[in-house]
Amino acid sequence: MSANVYRRRYAKNVVAQALASAAALLALMFLAWILWVTVSRGVQAIGVSLFTKITAYADQGGLANAIIGSLIIDAMAIALCAPVGVLAGAYLAEYARGTRMGETIRFLNDILLSAPSIVLGLFVYVIVVLPMTAATNGSITFSALAGSIALALIGLPVIVRTTDEMLQLVPSTLREAALSLGIPQWKLTVQVLMRAAGSGILTGVLLALARLAGETAPLLFTAFGNNYTALSPLAKMASLPAAIYQYTNDPNPAMHAIAWAGALLITLFVLALSLIARAVFARQKTSHE
Amino acid sequence: MNDLATAVQSVLQQPADATRVKIAVRGLDFHYHDIHAVRNIHMDISERKVTAIIGPSGCGKSTLLRVFNRIYAIYPKQRADGAVLLDGENILDPGYSLNRLRSKVGMVFQKPVPFPMTIYENVAYGIRHHETLSRPRMDERVEQALRAAALWDEVKDKMKKSALGLSGGQQQRLCIARGIALRPQVLLLDEPTSALDPIATGRIEQLIEELKKDYTIVIVTHNMQQAARVSDETAFMYMGELIEFGNTEKIFTKPDKKQTEDYITGRFG
Repeated sequence: MSANVYRRRYAKNVVAQALASAAALLALMFLAWILWVTVSRGVQAIGVSLFTKITAYADQGGLANAIIGSLIIDAMAIALCAPVGVLAGAYLAEYARGTRMGETIRFLNDILLSAPSIVLGLFVYVIVVLPMTAATNGSITFSALAGSIALALIGLPVIVRTTDEMLQLVPSTLREAALSLGIPQWKLTVQVLMRAAGSGILTGVLLALARLAGETAPLLFTAFGNNYTALSPLAKMASLPAAIYQYTNDPNPAMHAIAWAGALLITLFVLALSLIARAVFARQKTSHE
Repeated sequence: MNDLATAVQSVLQQPADATRVKIAVRGLDFHYHDIHAVRNIHMDISERKVTAIIGPSGCGKSTLLRVFNRIYAIYPKQRADGAVLLDGENILDPGYSLNRLRSKVGMVFQKPVPFPMTIYENVAYGIRHHETLSRPRMDERVEQALRAAALWDEVKDKMKKSALGLSGGQQQRLCIARGIALRPQVLLLDEPTSALDPIATGRIEQLIEELKKDYTIVIVTHNMQQAARVSDETAFMYMGELIEFGNTEKIFTKPDKKQTEDYITGRFG
C-alpha cells in the first residue's frame, strides 16, 4: 500500500481521537463545575450549628433533624430493598436462567429502574399514605416508613440487576463442581455462589444506597418533612433532599446557603459510598486471582 | 428392553474373582437440543481400573463423561437416552436419586475450581452435606482426603487460609481431595491436567496411579501420551461414536480400526 493511504488513515485517527477526547473533556468539565459550585457555596454555611441546630430555627438554624431523618429513612429503605433485591437477583441468575419468566422479570425490572421517581412517590402516596390516613382516622398520615418504601422502590431494581449480573459472572464450572458433590441448588446459591460474588453484590447494595440517598421527589408525598427532630418511623420526618428543596424555594439568601451546605453533605455521602464500593470491589478482584 | 435385562443380568452375575464391570453403558444417545452428540454407545468400564476416553475436539468424549454423574441435567434441553448401569442400576432412571449418584460418582474438572472458602472448608463442605460428623472425626476425614490427594504436606499449616491462594496444581489436587472426601466409588476426570504445567501434571498422573487401587477412574484427555501413561483401557471416540475400545497397550500399538490408527499416529485430529 502507498504511503498516501497510511497518511490518510493516520489523519482520520487523529480526528476521531480529538473528537472523542473533546466529548470526554466536556462531560468531565460539567462534573467538575457542579462539584466546584456545590463545594464553594456549601462550604460557607458549614459550621457546628449545621449539625446541632434543627430546621425550626430557619436561617438561624441548621439541618440536624434533616440529617438524622435522612439517615433513618435511607437505612430503613436499604433494609427493605436489599434482602428482596438480592434474593430476586439470585432467582433471575440461578433459577430462572434462560426461561421466559426470567426474561420477562428482567425486562420489567429494567423498566422499574428507569421509572420516574415522582411516579414511585405518588404510587406510595396512594397505596401507603392514604390507606394509613384512613385506617388511623388521620392520626398517622405522612410517615418516614412511607418515605422508606418509596426509596426502597428506587434501590430495588439496582440491587436486582447487580446481583443478577454478578452471579452470572461466576463461572458455571463452580456450579458444576458443587452440584457434582451432591450439593443442592439452594445451598450452592447461598453458600458458594453468593460468597463468590459477595463483594460484587455488596457493591450493588452500596450503589443503590448512593442512588436513593439523593432522591427528593419520592419523599415529598411520603415522608413529607418536619421542622423538628422525629425518630418514630410513623411520624413525618425531615430529610436532607426535602429540606434542600424547601430552602431553595425561600427568598432568604441565608436559607440558600444552608441548602448548599446540605447539597454538599449529600454529595460527600454519595462520593464516600462510591469510593467504598470501588474499594470493596477491587478487593474481591485481587483475592480471586 | 430385553437387551437391557440381559445386560443387568450379566453385570449382576459376574464371577467374584474376575475384573468386575463397574459401569455398563448400553445404547447411549445424547442430544444437545437437536444435535445428536453421542451415538449408540456400548461399553463396559472395569472396577478399579483407569479408563481413558480419547478423540479429537467435539467427538463427544466430555459429553459421555458428563452422563456418568448426570451433571448435564442442570442444563435445559440436554437429554440422554439408553442405559448407564452403575453396579447394575440404571442411573438414567429418573427414580435414581441424584444425591445418591453424586455421592458415589465424584468429578474433577478441566479448570481447578476451589470454592471461595478456606482449604479445610473446601474439603469438609461436601462431607457435611452427606454426613454429620463430630469435629475430630471431620478433621480426620479432611486429613485423609488431603493425604490421598498428595496435598496434605503442602497445606497442613494453612488449613484456615483461602483455597484461592493455592497454585493451580495445588488447587486441582484440592478439587480431587474434595471429590474423594465423599468416598465415592467412581472418579470422573475431565481433562484434569490441561490447565496445569508439566510438573503439576506429573504429580496428578502419579496420584491417578495411586487412586486406582481404591477407585474406578474414567479420564477424558486430549493428550494421547497421557492416556497411554495412566490408563489400563482406552476408548477412542470420533464424531459421537465409539470407534474402538480395549486394552490401552493394544489400542496404542496395534489398533483394529484404521481410524484409530490414523488418530493415534497423528494423521488427523
